[in-house]
Amino acid sequence: MRSAEGRGRTLEEAVDAALIELGETRRNVDVRVVRESPDETVVEVTVMDASAASGASPVNGKAETVRTLLEGLLKHMGVRASVQVRAGSDPITLDVTGRDLGALIGWRGETLRALQSVTNVMVGKHLNEGERVIVDVERYRQRREHTVREIALRAARQVKMTGDAITLDAMQAFERRAIHLALEGDPDVTSSSIGEEPDRRVVVGPRKPADA
Amino acid sequence: MSARSAAQRIRKAIAVVNAVADGAGDEEITPTEIAEAIRDCMELPEVAAVPNVRKYLGEALDATSDGMPADFVAMTLYAALGALQEGLPS
Repeated sequence: MRSAEGRGRTLEEAVDAALIELGETRRNVDVRVVRESPDETVVEVTVMDASAASGASPVNGKAETVRTLLEGLLKHMGVRASVQVRAGSDPITLDVTGRDLGALIGWRGETLRALQSVTNVMVGKHLNEGERVIVDVERYRQRREHTVREIALRAARQVKMTGDAITLDAMQAFERRAIHLALEGDPDVTSSSIGEEPDRRVVVGPRKPADA
Repeated sequence: MSARSAAQRIRKAIAVVNAVADGAGDEEITPTEIAEAIRDCMELPEVAAVPNVRKYLGEALDATSDGMPADFVAMTLYAALGALQEGLPS
């Protein structure tokens, strides 16, 4: 897999710098934030190799079984789409791609979330205890995770400048998780959640000395 | 309570179950809380008025007490939501 390091003032700029170096689009890459400071963001951008994904099937028969089951489900639903196993993903992540798959994502990813639940119930007997499969359509989930991570870093910068806590919009569990993970290593800010599902929100606030 | 509110309450129960499945890392949700969210849905008159909704909610409640995986409970709740939406006058 090819990867490149990108640097910029913002996450957006850093990702763009790496994409230019790789000659790739955002659709085909995975982004990892290496370092984040008020002056500079450093990211590692890795190209997701589709051929490597399909080539992984002999190594991971379980992933291939799961992929076939989801492909069959989509066929029964009358959805024309291809399913690939995301290379090197743990847990197993299935990427669904095709044309006009907006209906498969639904409002705020609701249909996608339902599809993931059904898929996990279908493939449960092929998985180990506690193991789950992630379903992504047109990389919606990955893009949302990147977006909320960006929001989290922006909120953290603002909290550091003002010292005031910020309450973000209501988010789904996987989005809140992405925010907590993005900020867990920051010594100056802390994140917590308030409210009840489905209106649960993340609050980003300054880390008190006792928290550190 | 309108049919829309009934759907919202089922969505709330789904969100609670999904939070368990996705592991948001910011809350501990117990099976009792999931059961409460499902029971809240079952109390609504709209649920009794539309065929199969109460049946699916009952199955979701049983699945929760039986310790079935969160995805199974969520799928059953999605079935209840679908039945409610199909059964509502358009």
